[in-house]
Amino acid sequence: MISDEYTVILVYSTSHALQVEKVLGEAKIACKLIPVPRYLSSDCGVCVVIAGADKDPALQVLEKARMEIQGLRDI
Amino acid sequence: MREIVDARGLPCPKPVLLTRRALQESQSVTTIVDNESAQHNVTRMAEGAGCTVEAQERHDGIYLHITRGEPAEQRAAPGRGPLVVVIPSEFMGRGEYEELGQLLIRGFFHALGEAEPMPDSIIFLNSGVKLVVEGSPVVEDLQAMGQRGTEILACGTCLGYYGLTETIAVGEVSNMYTIVETMLRAGKVVSL
Repeated sequence: MISDEYTVILVYSTSHALQVEKVLGEAKIACKLIPVPRYLSSDCGVCVVIAGADKDPALQVLEKARMEIQGLRDI
Repeated sequence: MREIVDARGLPCPKPVLLTRRALQESQSVTTIVDNESAQHNVTRMAEGAGCTVEAQERHDGIYLHITRGEPAEQRAAPGRGPLVVVIPSEFMGRGEYEELGQLLIRGFFHALGEAEPMPDSIIFLNSGVKLVVEGSPVVEDLQAMGQRGTEILACGTCLGYYGLTETIAVGEVSNMYTIVETMLRAGKVVSL
């Protein structure tokens, strides 16, 4: 999942994080669960990182699965 | 004053332990063993600690003449020397929720991969060996660390117990001697 640009998906809880990971995995979008970077803040200590290029497909997949996320950050 | 350690007839790891203790007291130690395995283990421990070892086969045993190296070569001062991380479980922390323990250990390896200083060695024990096999969520992080020079050791006994020896995806299959040596000659050991 190495890329130059990443998008961080912030979530409300660890179980949300795991659900996002599962849903993206089923849609074959590479993602990684990581601790939230220090310069970001989130209700939950883990977040989901995806390649920047996958941002739109990921958002579509999450919307279709009715997954609520706290926010997105491009890094 | 040369100290003599008669380790003939003693079961492993006694020859290594007695020799090491003797080396703490004395600059020169002669350890007598009666089998090749003990000779090998004592020699490796001593050389790993910066000593020179001269072996002499006599009719009544194998005499290992060990001389301590320069003080700089001796066991590392606390804080100076290799950084060793020990992972004794597939989970980080204790609690009733395995899922949380898994999340934490994934976060741990992610953060460890970005941290300075880089660990010199990471040792996986017991259920921790599940983290170095195919399908583990931390294999990529470990491979990246391995490429940057971190040594990754997985206990062979544990892999065997879980039936995972053939599926190891990163690092090398190790044994308790190497694991103990790696821990003891470290400058710092961080154990989860």
